[in-house]
Amino acid sequence: MKNRIKVERAELDITQADLATKIGVSRQSINAIEKGKYVPSTVLALKIAQLFKKPVEAIFTLEDQD
Amino acid sequence: MKTSYLLPHKYKTLGWILFIIGLSAGFIFVFNGYEANLLEIDVLSIFNDSNFFGSEKGFFKIIKNSIVDELIALAIIVGGLLVGFSKEKIEDEFIYKLRKDSLVWAIIFNYMVLVFTILFVYDFTFFHVLVFNMFTPLMFFVIRFNFLRLKSTSYEE
Repeated sequence: MKNRIKVERAELDITQADLATKIGVSRQSINAIEKGKYVPSTVLALKIAQLFKKPVEAIFTLEDQD
Repeated sequence: MKTSYLLPHKYKTLGWILFIIGLSAGFIFVFNGYEANLLEIDVLSIFNDSNFFGSEKGFFKIIKNSIVDELIALAIIVGGLLVGFSKEKIEDEFIYKLRKDSLVWAIIFNYMVLVFTILFVYDFTFFHVLVFNMFTPLMFFVIRFNFLRLKSTSYEE
């Protein structure tokens, strides 16, 4: 699964730590998700999308191997 | 992230202290050939079928025993459990996954090492393997978990 978190973060000019604090997770989680090492749960994906005020599909997209 | 079996974060420090004291004392104890005559007190032995160390055979006997090794083992086990199963500062689904993955990894790795030692370590030396193996699953788990946790802390903006 691909995600645009890094881009969205850049647009809002917030750090991984800021984003983590805003949605109440550890910074490690955001880092792992951005690097594509961890696929977040639906709840977490929805929280991230809500924060960026976009639908989930605008931030997370499936890849061929998924 | 709600998990029922995790202890509050404050137990982590106590856990590390116990774990490190226990491991250090344990290594000293092993290097001294498992000998210690300190703290010899009356203990309850619920079952004993060997008199290798000169104690009486049978059920529910009060015997004299140095409790140094018991204290060391308990410190390592209780310390290790506190370290491994106290909440992190921020506990979330990713940390939960790291903990679970580390547990699986530790069990598999531990038994791979054990299989290797069963095949290639013989005689009384294998006794050391048995002793170490009481603690290695917990040790491998704690090391692996903290390694993964610290590794995923490094990041670029």
